[in-house]
Amino acid sequence: MQSNKSYLQIVKNGIFAENPIFRVALSLCPAVAVTSGVKNGFLMGIAVLFVQVMANVTVSVVRKFIHPRVRIPSYMFIIATWVTVIDLVMAAFARDVYKQMGLYIQLIVAFAIILSRAELFASKNKVTPSFFDGLGMGIGFLFALVVISFFRELLGKGSLWGMPIVDFKPLLIMILPTGGFFAVGLLMGLFNWIDIRFFGGGGASGGGH
Amino acid sequence: MKEMFKITISLVIIFVAAGIIMASVFAKTSPIKAAAEKREKEEALKRLMPEAEAIKEAGKWEPFGKHAEYYDGIKDGKAVGYIASTYGKGYSSYISILVAVNPALKVKKISILGHGETPGLGDEIEQEYFLKRFEGKSLDQLVVVKVEGTDKIQAISGATISSRAVTNGVKEAVKLLKEKYQGGQVAEQ
Repeated sequence: MQSNKSYLQIVKNGIFAENPIFRVALSLCPAVAVTSGVKNGFLMGIAVLFVQVMANVTVSVVRKFIHPRVRIPSYMFIIATWVTVIDLVMAAFARDVYKQMGLYIQLIVAFAIILSRAELFASKNKVTPSFFDGLGMGIGFLFALVVISFFRELLGKGSLWGMPIVDFKPLLIMILPTGGFFAVGLLMGLFNWIDIRFFGGGGASGGGH
Repeated sequence: MKEMFKITISLVIIFVAAGIIMASVFAKTSPIKAAAEKREKEEALKRLMPEAEAIKEAGKWEPFGKHAEYYDGIKDGKAVGYIASTYGKGYSSYISILVAVNPALKVKKISILGHGETPGLGDEIEQEYFLKRFEGKSLDQLVVVKVEGTDKIQAISGATISSRAVTNGVKEAVKLLKEKYQGGQVAEQ
């Protein structure tokens, strides 16, 4: 997979062609669990973006050193190390943000998208492309979470970023987990439709967890 | 045999390196975190009782088997109120609460220190409009109801369990303070 693609293309690939949630359908648990508000979705996206970039770079740096038969435990440990470091640093230095995000940060260790990019891209590419791949995937994930949470918060709570927009809750079901599945499924369908209708693609049929 | 040795070395080096990184970050950050938590608690106590000149720890108690304290708010040598830290058993976590009462043992103000309730539903308990529902309530008014009204505590729609948890935590705290500060007098009369 040593490609000649430009860095911009690699970033774009993560946001559109292989968007972690809408096209590849990986890491759907956080996509449902934390998107009950735009703020939560945004903060989670930022944390994932950071871990994704750091994990990709680290895996790429040590890719020749890691024995191929124990690469998955090694990747897991690298990811877990970065997540722990972020958790500890934020708990000490960014208390306000930590109060909002502390519940989610430790979940990042188990996100399928981070491990899958380490295995599929960072372990086969040099450091710079791996950095941009992490950046693209992270931004794609952030974008997807913000879009999903925009609709869920607006319909479920009648507010955006905690600010009330309308005085009632139009569809309470949208902030319950059930509504999360509805939102992800409908948006995935919408993105497929746009892809097929305007770009002549074949639509995506991913499967993951 | 040679490969097994290589695998072991590869894993050991990665794990040891990661362990050293995590340990050094932990050593650097944990005192800062502990200091920040202590400062936050003190600030929360002051916010709850701004009129008190000093807030002194008066004793310890154990709501739901957790460690908690209660405090006297003192001004000009007299108690102007009491504060108790307490817990409520919520939907997915223990909710840590501070309760301030006036000398008549009616709730003055409460504050949520920490919780792990569902984002978007249970975390509404942090909102000012819900915390205000506790102001001026006496022990027997601390009951959760699902209808509108200001006589009792109106539950948050979609978060009845979290609302009840906060209310029960506050109730336990008021009960304790009543025993400590009024129970004795009542028995003497």
